[in-house]
Amino acid sequence: MESVFDDFKEGQRLGSGPYLAAALTPVASPRCPSRLQSFYYFSNAAHISQDLRHSLFHIGGVKIPKQEQTWWTDVFTAYWKAVGEIVRIEERSSRASWAKVFDAWKEVANILNRAYSSSIFQAWTIPCLYVVGKYLRVFAIKADTELSSQDDVGFDRFQEDVTAEFDKSAKLEEAARVINRMFTLCLTDRAPIDESRKWGIYNTINLLFKTYFKLNSVGLSKSLLRALDASSADLPDLESYPKSHIVTFKYYVGVIHFLDENYTEAEEHLTYAWKLCHRNAMRNKELILMYLVPCHIVTTHTLPSKHLLAQFPRLEKLFRPLCNCIRKGDLVGFDAAMSAGEEEFVKRRIYLPLERGRDIALRNLFRKVFIAGGFEEPKEGQPPIRRTRIPVGEFAAALRIGTHADAKSRVDIDEVECLLSNLIYKGLMKGYIARERGMVVLSKGGAFPGTGV
Amino acid sequence: MSNTSQTQTKAEPTQQPQQEQKPPVLEEDDEFEDFPVEDWPQEESEQAGANGTENHLWEESWDDDDAAEDFSKQLKEELKKVEASH
Repeated sequence: MESVFDDFKEGQRLGSGPYLAAALTPVASPRCPSRLQSFYYFSNAAHISQDLRHSLFHIGGVKIPKQEQTWWTDVFTAYWKAVGEIVRIEERSSRASWAKVFDAWKEVANILNRAYSSSIFQAWTIPCLYVVGKYLRVFAIKADTELSSQDDVGFDRFQEDVTAEFDKSAKLEEAARVINRMFTLCLTDRAPIDESRKWGIYNTINLLFKTYFKLNSVGLSKSLLRALDASSADLPDLESYPKSHIVTFKYYVGVIHFLDENYTEAEEHLTYAWKLCHRNAMRNKELILMYLVPCHIVTTHTLPSKHLLAQFPRLEKLFRPLCNCIRKGDLVGFDAAMSAGEEEFVKRRIYLPLERGRDIALRNLFRKVFIAGGFEEPKEGQPPIRRTRIPVGEFAAALRIGTHADAKSRVDIDEVECLLSNLIYKGLMKGYIARERGMVVLSKGGAFPGTGV
Repeated sequence: MSNTSQTQTKAEPTQQPQQEQKPPVLEEDDEFEDFPVEDWPQEESEQAGANGTENHLWEESWDDDDAAEDFSKQLKEELKKVEASH
């Protein structure tokens, strides 16, 4: 990243969206630490438009149609004003505020949106939308934080919670509307695909997902997916998009299904994201697994391997105690691990699926009874067959172990039968209870499906 | 995409600032991070090849031979208690 003008001209010369977008990136770079200051102080409010026109197009610039020049000049004039607000923040001016930065930046976004909706700017320039959308969110969050901290000082804290809740993210909601417009501009472009803004749909939808999640409006994300679905016939294959767009998209779609308790679909999307994710993006891999692990526990009743968790210390801490108890069939330990992690699980919205791990813990406990039962007397020439008729009393005894029952406590046989039939109903065990004989008759071919016996 | 190759090779300029400038205020716990590059070759993905396995992801076996014997003993003990209580 060089000076704003160098980036713009280089972008136009190469026809490179990312270079062009670099010009509209409102941060300094190590190579150009005073990038924003020097851009802001190169002109003043009276001459900015004229100065921009000169610097963008006349000194060593690429030939651009007059009308397009005017639009770019408007975009950069708005950008110059926004940069001015950022510079004031950096210089700790008394007039500085993030709300002003946001308002000025929103103007950049709006002009850009208008230029695209009039098809003045070509599709290759859409990375400009990405960067402007991205920082619109960033500045909105900062402005909302700033406003709510001012409220805390200035107003009665007992004012109605509802309005406080709403106002707390007023700027972010404004941002969501502008970014939504960006997404629609990309989605509805009718140009031939090579020159279409349709290449921008996933990047812009991802920005919206992030915004809606932050606003706690996951439901709005679903209507985006419906809009996307409705035009799916006109869209290029997912594989032809840059991987960063797709991995992020699949992650959010996975989490949306996850929150709807559609664990099978969630797992599909999250697995896709996992496989395609950049190997070194550890934080993102960790986030994918945060939801993929509970999905997998629910759908396939299997646990993450030691090797997998070992790479992610936070996940190790979050899931390991629970997984150990599930594995051992330690029900008391499982309940303790669930309540120890409750706050974190609820915060991450993974409590519900993890709770289903209790069935697997119970299954593992009962499976041990089956293994401990050994084999029937071998018949000649036949492979050994496990003992499949097991007294209910043995499962009751196992339950005493799993619940750390003390010598005095009784185990209710009805309760044991209830747990057994529950596991059979859920397909975690195969067989039936012969009540009159107090026996469980397990299937000879796979009594505990998916566990090797 | 008409400028796919440009997008890939020129991805750097926009991406740099994201790495350098991470105001802590913006770092949310659950938010998916921007990747430092827009695209990467398949070999750099978590699952590099089309036929890659995911064997290492999930625990394959539920068997624990050492613990099985202990459990067997423990079960016999408990069974006596259950029988005694009925």
